[in-house]
Amino acid sequence: MTSGRRPAPSTRRPSRGRSASPARRRSASLVRLRVGFLVIAMVVSVFAARLLQLQGVDAQAYVAKARAEGVVTVSLPATRGTVTDRNGTPLASSVDGLMLVADPTVTVKHASEIATIVARRLDVDYFEVLQRLRKPYTHFQYVARRVPADRAHGVVAEIKARGFKGIDTRRDPVRSYPADDVAANLLGFLNADGNPAEGAELMFDHLLAGKDGSASYEVGGGNRIPLGDNSSVPPRSGRNLQLTVDRDVQWYTQRVLRSAVQGAEAASGSAVVLDTKTGQLLALADYPTFDANKPALSRERDLGAPSLRNVYEPGSVQKVLTAAALVDARKVLPRTRITVPSELPRGERVIHDYFEHKRLRLTLTGVIAKSSNIGTVLAADQFSPRQLHDYLRRFGLGQRTGIGVNGESPGVLPDWRSWQQINQDTIAFGQGVAVTAVQMAAAVNAIANDGLYVSPSMVKGEATTAEGATVGSDTTTVRRVISARAARLTAGMMEAVTNPDTGTAGVAAVEGYRVAGKTGTAQVVDERTGRYSDKDFTVSFAGFAPADKPRFTVYVVVKNPRNGGGGGSIGGPAFSRIMSYLLQRYAVPPTGTREPTPTIEW
Amino acid sequence: MSTLIDQARRVPRFAEAAVERARLTVVPRTASQRAAPLPFVTLVSLLLVGGVAGLLLFNTSMQQVSFTATALEQKAQLLDARRQSLQMELDRLRNPQRVALAARRMGMVPPATPVFLRLSDGKVLGKPLPATPDEAFRITPLPTSKPRRLAPRPVYVDLSAEAQRSLVGAAPGARAARGGTNGSVTESQASPR
Repeated sequence: MTSGRRPAPSTRRPSRGRSASPARRRSASLVRLRVGFLVIAMVVSVFAARLLQLQGVDAQAYVAKARAEGVVTVSLPATRGTVTDRNGTPLASSVDGLMLVADPTVTVKHASEIATIVARRLDVDYFEVLQRLRKPYTHFQYVARRVPADRAHGVVAEIKARGFKGIDTRRDPVRSYPADDVAANLLGFLNADGNPAEGAELMFDHLLAGKDGSASYEVGGGNRIPLGDNSSVPPRSGRNLQLTVDRDVQWYTQRVLRSAVQGAEAASGSAVVLDTKTGQLLALADYPTFDANKPALSRERDLGAPSLRNVYEPGSVQKVLTAAALVDARKVLPRTRITVPSELPRGERVIHDYFEHKRLRLTLTGVIAKSSNIGTVLAADQFSPRQLHDYLRRFGLGQRTGIGVNGESPGVLPDWRSWQQINQDTIAFGQGVAVTAVQMAAAVNAIANDGLYVSPSMVKGEATTAEGATVGSDTTTVRRVISARAARLTAGMMEAVTNPDTGTAGVAAVEGYRVAGKTGTAQVVDERTGRYSDKDFTVSFAGFAPADKPRFTVYVVVKNPRNGGGGGSIGGPAFSRIMSYLLQRYAVPPTGTREPTPTIEW
Repeated sequence: MSTLIDQARRVPRFAEAAVERARLTVVPRTASQRAAPLPFVTLVSLLLVGGVAGLLLFNTSMQQVSFTATALEQKAQLLDARRQSLQMELDRLRNPQRVALAARRMGMVPPATPVFLRLSDGKVLGKPLPATPDEAFRITPLPTSKPRRLAPRPVYVDLSAEAQRSLVGAAPGARAARGGTNGSVTESQASPR
C-alpha cells in the first residue's frame, strides 16, 4: 500500500517552495495576534486593578458617595401630644409651624417691599423686619418665628409671586395655648428653642414629646424617583395628657382670684378647688401668672406654680385641723365650754386674740366661729406635742402631696421633739408651721370627706413624671385621719363661721346652701427684721359645700393685702363666688336640710 | 479479508433481508422543509420593539404617577396645615375669656345664686335672687399704668383773684373748656390716671 504513494514528495517539492510566503504571513499574523492579546491583557489588567481598587480597597466610601448622590433625607417630626382638661378641651396643642428666614445679602434690594408683605400678613413689626432684612455681613436672619404652616406658605407664595428672593422657611413647630393664661401655672410653656421649661410640659415631656422619624429617598428634579432607594422610619407621636382641671372652672377661679387680689391691693394669691370625694384638682389658680403663649412678657418669678412651691404660715385655718384632731381624740366636743381670758401669758410670751375682748365664755364652736387664738391654745393643751404633731402629719402637713409638679415644696412641720410650749401653742392656731396652698386645701378636704385624706391629683388617669414617680387620679391614696363622726362635728363648727349671726365670715355664705368654712389671717415674718411684720398678712378662707354632703372644697389665699381686710372680708367673697359657680356648673342642688343654730356662748 | 467473507457467509439465510434493510443509505435533501426566515425575524423584532416601547411607556407613566404623588402629598400637607390652623383659631374662639367678654358686652352677669328647677315636680331648688350689676367683677386685667415720664402729675397752681379774672378776660372760652374746679386752673392738660 505505501509503494503506491512514492511519487508524492517529488510533486510537493515545488509547492513547498511556493508556500514559504503564506507561512511567513501566518507567523506575522500570529505575532500581531500575540501583541494584540498583550495590549488587551494590559488594558484589561489596568481595568482589573482599578476594579480591585474600587471594589476591594475603598468600596464603602464610594458606596456612600453613590448613595448620597440625589438622596434626600428629611426628618419626619413627631407631633407633640395635646394636653387637655378633664372634658377633653385642649389646653395646649401643637400645630405644624414654620419660621421665615432671610438671607439679607439677597433681600436688601427689596427689603421694604418684603417687610410690607410680612408685616401685613403676620403679626410682626414692620421696622423690626426691615432692619433684619437689611442687616449687613450676614446670610441668616430670622424674620418670623412659629408661624402656622399655612400662613407661612401664603407669605412665601406672595413674596415669590412678586419676584423677590431670599426668603426661605424652616420647620418650627407651634405650641398653642388656646386659652392663653388659663392653667398656665400648671401647663408651663415651651421656651424659644422649643424645649419645655416649666410645669406639665417639663414634667411629662418624655410622654408628650414623641420620637422624630426620618425618610430618605432619591430625588430627581424635585420629585421622588420611583423604584429608587428609599427608606423611612415613621415618627412616633407624643402621648396626650389629660389634666383633672376643668378649663371653665379654672378660668373663673383665676378671674375671681385676680379680682380679689387686685381689690385688696395685695401682692399675690392662690386658689385651690378640689373635688371632695376624689381629691382631683378642678382648678388651681395663681396670681400673678403668665400668658403661656407669651411667657417672655412676664417676670420670671411668675412663671411657675406658687401654690405648690411657696410656703406660708396658714394662720387660723389651721384651727379647724387642731379642733378636728381634738374631737377625734375625744378630748373635746363642739359644746365644750372654754373660758377665754382677754390675754394669755405663756412663758415669756403673751398670746392675744385679733380682737379686743374681756373674759369670754365660749363653746369650742364659739372659739372656731370667732377664731379665738386663746381658746384654741387652751383646748390644744390637752394634747401632748407628739399627738398634735402626728395628727397634723396625717393631715398631710410637712410632706409633699406628690401631685406631679416640679419643685413642689414639702412645707415645714417642725419635729415634735424640738417643740417648746410656745411652739405647740402657735402651731395650734397656725403660726410656726408652713404649708403650700394645695397642702392646706387637701387637709381641709379630709374634714369634708368624712375624715378620709385623699392625696390630691392633677393628672387624670396615670402618668409617670420625669422624676420617675407615678402620679394621677388612678394612683391616689386614701387614709383615715379622723373618724367620720369627728369630721361631721367639725364641719358643724365650721358652719357657724359662715353664719352671719355668729361667725367671722358671713360674706362667704352661698344663698340657699349650707356652707362650712374657716377664715385665716396669719402674720408674716419680715425677712429684713426676722420678726413678724405689723403690716404684712396672709389672709385666707377654706371651706366646703354643701356642709352636710360636701362636693367641693375651695381654698383662697391672698398675700399681703394693703386694704386692711382679713380672711373673711377678702377670702370670703371670693370663696362664695367660686363655690356658687361650682354648685351651678355641676348642678348640685341644695340638700334641703336646715342649718342647726350654733351655740357659741354659755 | 478471508475471515470477513467467512463471517458474512456464516450469516443465516433467513436474516439476509433484515441486513439488506438495515444498510445505511443517503437521504435526499428536502429543500422544501426549511422555514422562511422573514416571519421569525419580524416576530422577534416586534417583541423587542414592543418590549422596549412598553418599558418606556411604563417608566414614563411611573414618573407621571410620581409627579402626581409629590403634588398630592404637598397638597395634603397644605390642607393639613390649613386644618390645624383653623382648629387653632376655633380653639381660640372658644377661649372662655373671649366668650365671657362677649357675654359681658351683652350685659350679662353671673347669677347671684345657683337655682334649679326640678322638672319632675316643678319645684324650685335654691333661693332665686335677681342678678344685679354688683355680681359682675372685673374679668379683664387692670389697665397698665403709663410710666411717670409719659404721664406726669398735673401741676395745680392757685391763682389770685385778679390773675384769674385777667386769664378769663384774655381767653373767655379757655376756662370753660378746661373745666378748672375749686378756683384752681390746671396748668398742664395731662390728667392723672
